Amino acid sequence: MLEIKNVSKDLGQFKLNNVSLEIEDGEYFVIIGPTGAGKTILLETLVGVHSPDTGEVYFNGVDITCLPPKDRSITMVYQDYMLFPHLTVEENIAFGLRYKDLKKDEIAEKVLEIAKILSIDHLLKRKPDTLSGGEQQRTAISRALILEPSVLLLDEPLSALDAFTRERLRRELKRLHALFNTTIIHITHNFNEVFSLADRVMVMDGGESIQVGTPHDILRRPKSEFVAGFVGSENILQGTCQTDAAGKTVFTSEGLTIHSANEPAATCTIATIRPEEIVVARPGDDIPYENRIIGNVDEIIDNGISVKMYVHSDRLFSLIVNRTSFQNLKIEIGSQVQIGFPAEAVHIF
Amino acid sequence: MKKKAQPDWLKITTISVGLVLTAFIVALLLLIGTKPDPAVIWQSLFSPEIQFAIMLSLVTSICSTLLCIIISVPSAYALARYNFFGKSFVNTILDLPLALPPLVAGVGLLLLFGATNFGDWLASVGLVFVFTPLGIVIAQFFVNFPYMLRIMRSTFEDISPRYEYVAKSLGCNNIQSLMRVTLPMASSGFIAGSVITWSKGIGEFGAALMLAGATRMKTETLPISLYLNMSCGELELAISAAVILIVISMVSLYVFEIFGGSAKL
Repeated sequence: MLEIKNVSKDLGQFKLNNVSLEIEDGEYFVIIGPTGAGKTILLETLVGVHSPDTGEVYFNGVDITCLPPKDRSITMVYQDYMLFPHLTVEENIAFGLRYKDLKKDEIAEKVLEIAKILSIDHLLKRKPDTLSGGEQQRTAISRALILEPSVLLLDEPLSALDAFTRERLRRELKRLHALFNTTIIHITHNFNEVFSLADRVMVMDGGESIQVGTPHDILRRPKSEFVAGFVGSENILQGTCQTDAAGKTVFTSEGLTIHSANEPAATCTIATIRPEEIVVARPGDDIPYENRIIGNVDEIIDNGISVKMYVHSDRLFSLIVNRTSFQNLKIEIGSQVQIGFPAEAVHIF
Repeated sequence: MKKKAQPDWLKITTISVGLVLTAFIVALLLLIGTKPDPAVIWQSLFSPEIQFAIMLSLVTSICSTLLCIIISVPSAYALARYNFFGKSFVNTILDLPLALPPLVAGVGLLLLFGATNFGDWLASVGLVFVFTPLGIVIAQFFVNFPYMLRIMRSTFEDISPRYEYVAKSLGCNNIQSLMRVTLPMASSGFIAGSVITWSKGIGEFGAALMLAGATRMKTETLPISLYLNMSCGELELAISAAVILIVISMVSLYVFEIFGGSAKL
């Protein structure tokens, strides 16, 4: 288990502020946050190139805060690969094996083995600058994985790749994680990119840990406005909540009263509803949900796959509908529509 | 009918200025190379004096270049990688010899080695710099190390420290990551810097003149030979030295263009 206890580090432009975290063996842990949130510096602190100003890092109960990087069994892959340009792919992958007690042919064998797993065995004699982005990233991952590290750190490994390569490599990462059973810490600013990979997610901002939870928790039950906004919960309402006569939770905001399935708490002031959990219908239609609102369509953004709409009633709601229902309803800008969402979709905190 | 474009006077004027300048330089070089009889120049190249000047220039410039490398590479690395108190001051001072007239640098060196206890002490242990070839080496070093330093500094700055981070996570200690990753990646800058430093060393005149003097067949490097022979009317010998210096400059500039890449002076 990797334990990070109250780690702070100030590098001027980037900083970590009292971050604490526990990561289980074999876990696929994702850290998300905007640019400048301190994600990379956290990884670099774990790998050991920055020593924390305060706080400790433990691995399986042993304090490794002051251990040099080479003695940590933690390897790292950067977004821009950092392949050594003067070495071939083979030499890059074998780089760390020099410090293991291995014979030349054993090294060659290990390199070939991992290269086959990552389907780059035909590229071994090439120089990194002749490879595509995806191939370079596979080389960088091989170089880090060949040492069979206890923890593999991935710094935005998919961000620099085109959509097709990204999807392939994402599936590859899932396979590698199962194959090597290595603890993986993966940072990204794009939550959707890693939703299916992550066991748990930490949201960071301004060098601080904002929320840790399962991907589902982070997506549906954000604990702050920042997290809600960052993971795309665009409908964020401010108001008050109380219990009605029937014992149900109601949230009042800007003249609207909406039902929530959450337990009410006096301190709740914010409700969030994800745009894809709102359905749209004609004004007279029956929507089988507790919350129904009539409004006018302000804006329609068709991205070719789904349709995003802004509907104005007492406030503006953003919602995403699939193309079929959009076409069936013949919605245009200015149309009057009915929107609805179940009480379960309203998350209050 | 085809429309006639307005002449672009800005383009025409600026290109003309560039062309005139180029023609001027080519004319100068041709003049030096062709004014005297080429056969005589060829003969002069093999005169004992020019032979001595070539040898002395080669030996001193190679020594001073090595010295520049030994001193500049570590300093450049430190200035590129670490933050420390007084860094910008150190940066400015280390660049200063570039702006300083070599004659002034020479006077300073002469005072240091000729008129201080430190200089006397060095002389007492056998390191005599005043009016000796050793002085030429030091003069070349002092005037030229900023070239090596600046090129290496910008080369190291262009290499992301993350390469070293990765190397360390893969098992290197600090020295190993430097030797196996950063230095090999800096090799182009290193070659470019060495060549430019060496070629500046070959041509160094002012500071060497002050510290080592201009003694025929003793401290007579190629530029000193050019100066001595020009002063006493030995035009063929002077031109021979000049031609060699031109060739060296052109070759080093070519090598620098090949390897310089992103390195900035």
